[in-house]
Amino acid sequence: MIEVKQLYFKYPTMKDYVLKNINIKIELGQIVAIMGSNGSGKTTLIKHFNGLLKPNEGYVKVFGKDTQDESVAALSRKVGLVFQNPDHQIFSDTVWNEVTFALKNFGFEEEVIKKRVKWALEFFNLIQYKDTSPLLLSGGEKKRLCLASILAWDPDYIVLDEPTVGQDFLQKEKLREVIKMLITRNKTVIIVSHDIEFIWLLQPRIILLSNGEVVKDDVCANVFKDDASIDKCGVIKPQFVELFDHLAPLLPHPPLDVLEARSTFLKLMKKGG
Amino acid sequence: MFWIAEGLIYRRQDSVFHTIDPRIKLLISMMLFFLSLVSSTIVEFSIILVLIFFIGALSKTLKRMVRTFVFSLSFLAMIFVINILVGYDIMFSIIISLRFISVVSSTSIFFLTSSPDELELVMKSFYLPYDLIFAFVTAVRFVPVIMLDAIQILDSQRSRGLEIEKGNFIKRIKNYIPVLIPLIVQAIIRSEELAEAMESRAYGFSKKKTSYYSLHLRKRDYFAATVAICFMIVFIYAIYFLHI
Ligand SMILES: Nc1ncnc2c1ncn2[C@@H]1O[C@H](COP(=O)(O)OP(=O)(O)OP(=O)(O)O)[C@@H](O)[C@H]1O
Ligand SMILES: [Mg+2]
Repeated sequence: MIEVKQLYFKYPTMKDYVLKNINIKIELGQIVAIMGSNGSGKTTLIKHFNGLLKPNEGYVKVFGKDTQDESVAALSRKVGLVFQNPDHQIFSDTVWNEVTFALKNFGFEEEVIKKRVKWALEFFNLIQYKDTSPLLLSGGEKKRLCLASILAWDPDYIVLDEPTVGQDFLQKEKLREVIKMLITRNKTVIIVSHDIEFIWLLQPRIILLSNGEVVKDDVCANVFKDDASIDKCGVIKPQFVELFDHLAPLLPHPPLDVLEARSTFLKLMKKGG
Repeated sequence: MFWIAEGLIYRRQDSVFHTIDPRIKLLISMMLFFLSLVSSTIVEFSIILVLIFFIGALSKTLKRMVRTFVFSLSFLAMIFVINILVGYDIMFSIIISLRFISVVSSTSIFFLTSSPDELELVMKSFYLPYDLIFAFVTAVRFVPVIMLDAIQILDSQRSRGLEIEKGNFIKRIKNYIPVLIPLIVQAIIRSEELAEAMESRAYGFSKKKTSYYSLHLRKRDYFAATVAICFMIVFIYAIYFLHI
């Protein structure tokens, strides 16, 4: 479990706190979306989960251990962070070696490494590139490679910073499948994203941040009922949800996706004659 | 870890010293640099350092100047130890160390208080070829960007279990490979993008370039220059003719 208690944080070069009085608990087996406008402190918050940043006040505990006392490497074994820009991590000569890097750092056995890397590359449809330079991959492929290189060591928490940026529709679908698969294996996926359509389909728990403070922390459906909070955090509803909201007295609860919206409309039209 | 380079990076700030004409700031910086080279006693260095720190306080950059200072302490220790090992006496080693400090901090005065734009104007006023100016100024301007990259790359690799400080000497050097390669790749990508962006905005189209700002000496600039030059003359006079 990740437990954040009364966390205050400021960068040494800045005057003001970037995170203020954050209190959250994230258990295993959840999907959690962290949303908020640019500069609200999302990336800063997730960097606390594997100890890259340490709180100025309060604490962050990962499986009961205070991040102040643990090395980033030890914490990362449990909490895998995938950053937004793949170019900030890719350095190996081949795609294969890019994935082995972390596993070697964590001291896995040679045999295990082989098995895990093969699995990860196959899973993300990258196995055909295993001997090519990762720098030659397309943007979307590089992003998948980064994800593969983290999933390969099987962390309990997978934290994704803006995973859908630059991904085409099909890849987003796949990513959603991956996330759902991880949940069935009792992992927790934490997603930082501005991609509201993507988040809506996952129906996760949503933590809304504004100016370094948690404004709302609730299940998706409830968060989107709170117009004041989502406005404050610069989040907008998916368009069909907006439509259903405007027609609220006529229609039941907002639909999960466009297909459900369609069938609701059809039923209604039949009823109306 | 990277905050040490803070001591050489310009930050927008309000102070009397910042508003002085960059040519005069350069003059002051170079003058202190020169005096650091010719000084040879502890008293002389004390005067120079006090002056440097006074300017630091005046321009509200003292804190960052001290950081460069702390950073250079490790070099300093090295210089000191090597001097002693080679057989120079302690006094001489101290003087060399002091000279190193004053040379470093006098240079940082100019860079801490002058924006890349000002740097460009100063170089232009020396009639240097524009391509050279552009290359130099761009390099300076990109230092903070590359530092941010370096921080993010280090974060990424640490999240994949890299422990920079671990292992013996050789291993530690090797540890930097996963940080350096993405950094260099990023720099190359960035420079290509920059070149394309510049060309699409007609860089190099006309031989004669106009600029938005121009430099004009004002009263305070003449005043600062006069004070600086007088100080230098008195200082050198004191060293060579009064032998203090
Ligand atoms: N290394 C740093 N040093 C100083 N300030 C920083 C640093 N990184 C971020 N900040 C500042 O902290 C604040 C929060 O930044 P953060 O990157 O956490 O925002 P974010 O919510 O992830 O935004 P985005 O949606 O743009 O990714 C911003 O005001 C930013 O300028
Ligand atoms: Mg961010």
